[in-house]
Amino acid sequence: MFLLILSYVSLFAFIFLSIYKAVQYGKMPMHGRLDLYPIPKEKGKGHYGGSYYEEVEWWKKPRETSLLEEIIDMLKEMLFIKKLFDNQRPLWWISYSLHLGIYLLFAWTALLFIGAITELAGLAMESGHWWAVLVYYTTFLTGTIGGLLVAFGSGALFLKRYLVPSFKKYTTVQEYFNLVFIFAVAATGLMVWTSDPGFNYGRHIAKSMLTFRPIEADAILSIHIILLGLLLIYIPLTKMSHYVGKYFSFHKVLWDNDPNLPGSEIDKKIKQAAGFKPKNNWSAPHYQPEPPKTQDM
Amino acid sequence: MINGKDLKPQDISKPVKQLTKIDKLMDLPAPYDKPGMEPELTEPKEEWAEKFCASLDGYIGLDTFETPKTKEEKEELVKKFLSGLEKMLSDETNRSIIQPLMLSLDYCAKCHTCSEACHIYAATDGNELYRPIFRSDILRRIVKKYFTKSGKLFGSLVGADIDLTWETVARLGELAYRCNLCRRCAQTCPLGLDNGVLAREIRKIFSQEMGIAPKPLHEKGTMLQLKTGSSTGITKPAFLDIIEFLEEDIEEKTGWNIKIPIDKKGADILLTHNAGEFMAWPENPIAFAILFEKAGINYTLSSDLIGYDNVNYGIWYDDAQAKKVAMQQFEAAKRLGVNKIVIAECGHAHKAAAVSADRMTTSDNKIPVESFLPMLAEIIKSGKLKLDPSKNNFPVTLHDPCNVVRQMGIVQPQREIIKAVCPQFREMTPHGVDNYCCGGGSGFAIMNSMNFGEFRNKVSTRMKFKQILDAFQDTIEDSSIPKYVCAPCSNCKGAIRDILEFYEVTAKFNVHYGGLVELVVNALADLEKPFLEFLHDDEA
Ligand code: SF4
Ligand code: SF4
Repeated sequence: MFLLILSYVSLFAFIFLSIYKAVQYGKMPMHGRLDLYPIPKEKGKGHYGGSYYEEVEWWKKPRETSLLEEIIDMLKEMLFIKKLFDNQRPLWWISYSLHLGIYLLFAWTALLFIGAITELAGLAMESGHWWAVLVYYTTFLTGTIGGLLVAFGSGALFLKRYLVPSFKKYTTVQEYFNLVFIFAVAATGLMVWTSDPGFNYGRHIAKSMLTFRPIEADAILSIHIILLGLLLIYIPLTKMSHYVGKYFSFHKVLWDNDPNLPGSEIDKKIKQAAGFKPKNNWSAPHYQPEPPKTQDM
Repeated sequence: MINGKDLKPQDISKPVKQLTKIDKLMDLPAPYDKPGMEPELTEPKEEWAEKFCASLDGYIGLDTFETPKTKEEKEELVKKFLSGLEKMLSDETNRSIIQPLMLSLDYCAKCHTCSEACHIYAATDGNELYRPIFRSDILRRIVKKYFTKSGKLFGSLVGADIDLTWETVARLGELAYRCNLCRRCAQTCPLGLDNGVLAREIRKIFSQEMGIAPKPLHEKGTMLQLKTGSSTGITKPAFLDIIEFLEEDIEEKTGWNIKIPIDKKGADILLTHNAGEFMAWPENPIAFAILFEKAGINYTLSSDLIGYDNVNYGIWYDDAQAKKVAMQQFEAAKRLGVNKIVIAECGHAHKAAAVSADRMTTSDNKIPVESFLPMLAEIIKSGKLKLDPSKNNFPVTLHDPCNVVRQMGIVQPQREIIKAVCPQFREMTPHGVDNYCCGGGSGFAIMNSMNFGEFRNKVSTRMKFKQILDAFQDTIEDSSIPKYVCAPCSNCKGAIRDILEFYEVTAKFNVHYGGLVELVVNALADLEKPFLEFLHDDEA
């Protein structure tokens, strides 16, 4: 029962803590503009880094943005880590292994639940039905490749950080620990997999979670589930939650070039914030209120 | 002294006389690839090192910061820095940046993707001190140690391992002035983080809390501007005299009698210049006057306090100063009743007025701001000016000011203009939004106290110098051919002027520099004598 509860708690903790983090960032006051070009949503100009400032009297013209361009750029970054690919290929290979592995494992998790539902509906994986075959093999492929990539990526990142002096000097013990933690989860997962290559154990866990029945697990599977559960709780508490940060740093900072025009959302926010009086102030002389001017001054 | 390559963030608190020094610089292309072509690096003078903080890399940017002598003074320095840090991290006192700041503090993966993007890091052949995240990581570790629970609980395990001694504070203050705030590094960061923002935050703590900022930026910069109307010290009567002189100069240069409108109520446009132009490069405001007259533009200059100087050094180091200056500029425009402010050739003034000031106040307190570039491109397209590009038949390259390009997204108009008037135009590599900073950004161009000029000329502008040489490789050694670096920004122009002087590029290789409007005026078909002075001798 413990394993079942941990599975639930960790899954919800991951989601809840990630959302909480996003809400914390989202609640921060509106910042001054820090546009950094290229901004992909600038329609027809995003590809070379242009903006509405290239237009005479830009404020009189309709603001043309392209959500599609923004989404394409976002996907390139999310699915492919394009900036790393363009600017630091050697690191990209290992970092991308880790990230691609994680994406595959997300797909694998979804497939495990799909497989569990399929079995609960009475269609066994061994039935030979095309749907069962499809689910079984996609689960097998995503799980196997994903697990191997995560293990390789986290292990190689650890070694790179540890062995290359320019990386080592910036790496904290916690950052090594994070990589070891991920590696340990992937390694225990792979150990379980060697005795159950079809991931029947995974569908069993998914079924248990769907039907609130205890998870039956041997020692190594129990360790794997416990480590994975703890990792899911731990990730949002650390900078490994950069999937949250990245959204804000691009969409809400570097690509936020909405001008403050009369009647705009920005203008409204500034008007709302106008009454804010900070209780504290900076201490340099030029921050202090000027002494009242007397007539003979 | 620690070898630059071996330096670690924790070394910042090491009690050594000087932390490190620059021992290798990036190679320059021909003809500067031969020994003896450039002045050597020098050591800081002993008396400077005693009085100021030369204990980082030997250079002194913070020329108003005298190092503390007594134990009390030292403790006070650390105390003040900590209280500044606390205010930096508070959404009460640092509202306008708290979100981007926290993102950059929280999420760096230390992947070094941004390192190669930095021209200063590249110029020093990868000296660790100038790696974009070196200063960020020091700041991060200090914040961790003094302001986070995890830092207090787990200490060095989570990177909370930098002791805040007075020397750490002093060196970090200096280190904030080894970054041009060009944000090229931020463009490459897979997580969208911004080391330029962090460098500026350190500058802010020094200025806003500790009252320490380089004299050319604060005392002789924003303070002087707020008091006299211009950071150059030009007062209103002096400004009016200068304009008269410019009108005479136009007549002398071109034979044309052109009036420069001042304080014309109800004009469509308030044109604002970097007042430094009036003193150092009067041909630039003159060229604007000629072009606007020829194109029949209804514009005016302002003689109002700060209305005649569009600079805003506050954006480099201090939020309050930035806001005070920006608001006065808007007020000057409002008093004239103009429809828009057009910013002339000053990159940081573009960004300050159009972008940085955009959310400083409600829209009704502002006047729309526009760059001169789209307008000039349109004038050229309209055919109002009769142009003869063959008058500019010499190699020309274009420097893209970071503030205009990377930070505002104005890329094409300047290219349309320059291609219309310069048959031998060639791009620098890279260019546009990927350009490199001139090395004078964020105040460096005007910071000349003690040996800081050497840091600029040898280090921060080195990449730009390399780009200029590369752009002219076909003709560089033929000194009979004039070459022109077009820099449509006062600060960049200042930095490039210094490169050309320091390396004797003009004297030896006939390379000149100037703005964009000067090239357009020089191409005017009905102009008798070349407008660009370096063409005069050729004619004679
Ligand atoms: S690229 Fe971004 S995440 Fe990587 S080291 Fe630089 S600032 Fe940090
Ligand atoms: S902002 Fe520019 S100068 Fe500063 S670290 Fe980044 S690339 Fe280098």
